[in-house]
Amino acid sequence: MFAYYFQLGLRSLRKNPVLTALMVMAIGFGVAASMTTYSVFRATSNNPIPQKSSQLFVPQIDNWGPEDAATTMGEPPPAMSYTDAIGLMRDHKAKRQTILYPVGVSLIPADANLLPISERSYAVYGDAFPMFDVPFLYGGGWTTAEDDAHAAVVVISKAFNDKLFHGANSVGREVNLDGRNYRITGVMDDWNPQPLFFDVVNSSAFPDPVQLFIPFTRAIELKVATNGNNNCNKSPANDGWEGYLQSECVWLGYWAELPTETDAKAYLQYLHAYSAEQQRAGRFHWAPNERLRNVMDWLDNRKVVPPESKISLLVAMGFLVICLVNTVGLLLAKFMRRASEIGVRRALGASRKDIYAQFLIEAAAVGLAGGLLGLLLTGVGVFGVSLVFDPRIARLATLDVSLVLLTFAVAILATVLAAFYPTWRAAQVQPAWQLKSN
Amino acid sequence: MPHIKPILAALKRHKAGTILIALQIALTLAIVCNALFIIQQRVTRLSRPTGMDESNLVAIQNRWVGVTDAAAAGVLTRADVLALRQMPGVQDAVQVNAFPLRGGGWSTGVRVDVDGKKPIAHTTQYFMDEHALATMGVKLIAGRNFRADEVVTTDPDKIQTSPQAIVSKALADKLYPDGSALGKPIYLGDDRTPSTVIGVVERLQVPWGAAWTDDFAENSVILPVQLTGNFSTYLIRAKPGQQAELVKAAPAMLTKLNRLRVITGDRGVRTFEVVREQAYKSDRGLAILMGVICLILLAITAAGIVGLTSFWVGQRRKQIGVRRALGATKHDILSYFLTENLMIGIAGVVIGALMAVGLNLWMVTQFEMARLSMAYVAAGVIALLLLGQAAVLAPAMRAAKVPPVEATRSV
Amino acid sequence: MLKMTHLAKVYRTEVVETYALRDFNIDVKEGEFVAVTGPSGSGKTTFLTIAGLLETFSGGQYHLDGIEVSQLNDNARSKIRNEKIGFIFQAFNLIPDLNVFDNVEVPLRYRGMKAAERKQRIMDALERVGLASRAKHYPAELSGGQQQRVAIARALAGSPRLLLADEPTGNLDTQMARGVMELLEEIHREGATIVMVTHDPELAARAQRNVHIIDGQVVDLAEDPRFHHAVHEARTGTPA
Repeated sequence: MFAYYFQLGLRSLRKNPVLTALMVMAIGFGVAASMTTYSVFRATSNNPIPQKSSQLFVPQIDNWGPEDAATTMGEPPPAMSYTDAIGLMRDHKAKRQTILYPVGVSLIPADANLLPISERSYAVYGDAFPMFDVPFLYGGGWTTAEDDAHAAVVVISKAFNDKLFHGANSVGREVNLDGRNYRITGVMDDWNPQPLFFDVVNSSAFPDPVQLFIPFTRAIELKVATNGNNNCNKSPANDGWEGYLQSECVWLGYWAELPTETDAKAYLQYLHAYSAEQQRAGRFHWAPNERLRNVMDWLDNRKVVPPESKISLLVAMGFLVICLVNTVGLLLAKFMRRASEIGVRRALGASRKDIYAQFLIEAAAVGLAGGLLGLLLTGVGVFGVSLVFDPRIARLATLDVSLVLLTFAVAILATVLAAFYPTWRAAQVQPAWQLKSN
Repeated sequence: MPHIKPILAALKRHKAGTILIALQIALTLAIVCNALFIIQQRVTRLSRPTGMDESNLVAIQNRWVGVTDAAAAGVLTRADVLALRQMPGVQDAVQVNAFPLRGGGWSTGVRVDVDGKKPIAHTTQYFMDEHALATMGVKLIAGRNFRADEVVTTDPDKIQTSPQAIVSKALADKLYPDGSALGKPIYLGDDRTPSTVIGVVERLQVPWGAAWTDDFAENSVILPVQLTGNFSTYLIRAKPGQQAELVKAAPAMLTKLNRLRVITGDRGVRTFEVVREQAYKSDRGLAILMGVICLILLAITAAGIVGLTSFWVGQRRKQIGVRRALGATKHDILSYFLTENLMIGIAGVVIGALMAVGLNLWMVTQFEMARLSMAYVAAGVIALLLLGQAAVLAPAMRAAKVPPVEATRSV
Repeated sequence: MLKMTHLAKVYRTEVVETYALRDFNIDVKEGEFVAVTGPSGSGKTTFLTIAGLLETFSGGQYHLDGIEVSQLNDNARSKIRNEKIGFIFQAFNLIPDLNVFDNVEVPLRYRGMKAAERKQRIMDALERVGLASRAKHYPAELSGGQQQRVAIARALAGSPRLLLADEPTGNLDTQMARGVMELLEEIHREGATIVMVTHDPELAARAQRNVHIIDGQVVDLAEDPRFHHAVHEARTGTPA
């Protein structure tokens, strides 16, 4: 029967090409608008590390006090001072932990004809690689011993390895960073978590891939300043690098891996105890105020999804609703115009169920056509997104298989949903009506 | 104008269609009002002047390679600036920590009273030398420019209070609303020593274009300071017609001067036109998106009205024929359908206006957004009523053409 | 085959109750050809719609082929309409979007028949009404008589036990009407039960038995003087 109804549906749609075109366009545009904006929203609200997002945590410690916290609704600063980061690192209470900050190092190619290259780089502890599930093509991260030794080691990206070593295994070889040689311990495979969850404070959240990692201890020893934000609630008391490290300026990211909920609870208690200790020691003149957020909570707290993407998703949803209301109206007109046909079919033995089936399938055919148009327009829309959004975000919005399927599903589901009322009205047509000669 | 009562009676018999059209008009109004409002806000923001003469400006961001000593980098930076000023095609150049719409910079609170606890205003701090005003092309409206001997070069960690400051008029008016700020003291951040206002510029925007800076968008202080460090930014004013050439020549010259540097990425060398475009990309984009959505939405709503009214006309052909046979003129039939649509439209826009305001109030709580102006609702209401009348015109004219003989036809 | 006893049909509005049929009794035997006559508004069409399970009734009983139908739900009624009853309407009621073949196919589709059997039955039915060559035509391309023959083919295709016809020749000219009538007679001779509503005495006279309805009741033909008048008209062929 499905094939019969489908065929009837197509025939009926061909019969009123203008009305059909109106419906298909309404659905096509509605679906395309919502799918295009959804593709951006999906990209920006993506979970960058789904397998571990509930085990990786950002601790926050209030080293500025309630006066500053009052301007952020009680939130401690979003980054850490060197004093606190090192304090947490020394206590080593998590399974794994790392301090990190973006560093502006430049790579000087061995070939004297080439100009120096500067790409996104971070200073981290060796724990960061297993913590963040960084994939390796060759070698791996560095050891704790190398962290402790402030070793001149580096992990480079596949892209860098391709550029410098033509893709060969370069582990053990050296590269020149700002005039100093570093031994390569590992070459990352393609790795580009979006958003770049571990540093949304300093990056646009959707930056170019990270190309280099060097040991945090080495970077501090070389007095490499942060390439990201530095916030001070007051000027450092002492001059120079040492003065800066001792200050309450916040500029460091901190991540802890806490595999179970119990671990997370214990860690939060530890943060509280740490702050209380700082209070006792006279460094903090206020009660402990700490936070511990996992990846998704952190991204949410940092408002990583751009408001443009939220507003347009919202508008697009409203748009889809209007298109559906429109479709309800047009389907109603289309179905009720065929009241006499329905009466005859009912007289000839069609049950209400048959009428439901016939008209819902007809609606689904409209939905399918709308989906096809919608898919085409979504393609245009995703392409046009580069006009609308920052290209760094726009490039994340892609028309992949799941989006194609979703477009069809939404189009058909929405149309069938819109068809319920008109179909119900159609099924209410009494078989007797049309027997009387009008 | 036909009587309203019989139209109401007829609409009662077409409840579903009536409600659908009214609902569609209401939803469209709610979304179009808010979308237009968003467009207007964004357009206002992205057409905000920076206060600079934006043509013929080029910005370069440079990073020194292998220089960890800030002072040493400062020397290299100074050499760059001097070399740039010597370049043919360059009118003037200045080293800056930030410039309008750059997207990153310094900001702090300002007080006028040394013991004042709360800052009176928030402002951005520009660190530039005496070439700043000429390079940016901002207009000095009171006082004087810096003298070369007032400019100090310092490490970012060791900034001392500058004795002199040039402020934007917006900031001057905020700090000293009762008279000229010229010669008066200002205290930046937690400074205990004042900077004296030696000059006021007409207008100078902060380095950010986003909504969060709206309440201090033109509060700027220029301080006679040159920051050292291995990261430097140059603003260059090209001689008329030389800008395109300079975009290529300036980085080439700098690389020739010193190879151990990086001037790359999408922010390495930019004309100010590009700076502006990048800064407002999402504002402009959102405005375009909203505009497109509004147009399609209005088209779809109009199409829906045409579709449903056509259906009604088709259904009522016989009735119309009877009316015509009983003496109704074509004009009577036409105005019947127009009035019918107007009544549905009025119901729709009343609900829609409430929804528009409700949606806006909700968005205000969710996003950085202003209250919807009633002028937009009024404009939307009129636009949708007119749209409805225009959409119903074609089917109504078809109805008016139904011949009286239709009354006698059986099917 | 078709038996109604004390059947009543009331149309209720807020103000009045109107009896379309009251204490209505009729018994049509298997294989009969019954003509139902009566003046305009007498209730003959109401009788036909109830007989065809297109409408429900307010009281009394109705046995169709031995089944008491008053308690059946919409689905069961649809099934009976589909399998046991064939309809011939005054206005033909062909579906304009479907061609002749597809129109005849409609009831067979709802019966869930295999394609091959459907095709066989459709072609047989069209053969029967002499329109096999027009299978691909659309209703609008046919004359009124041809359209009604398609409608008859549609009614016949499902081999119904009961054929209900409402003024089958009402929209046709005399010559076309004669052809349709001859077709009905032929179908009856082959064993179908036919109930035909008409106000044309000439047609009624060609049926085996006449039932006359006045004011929603079956009138005893022998005792009602109006009947004699009607019979007279039928015999002489002069219109009333």
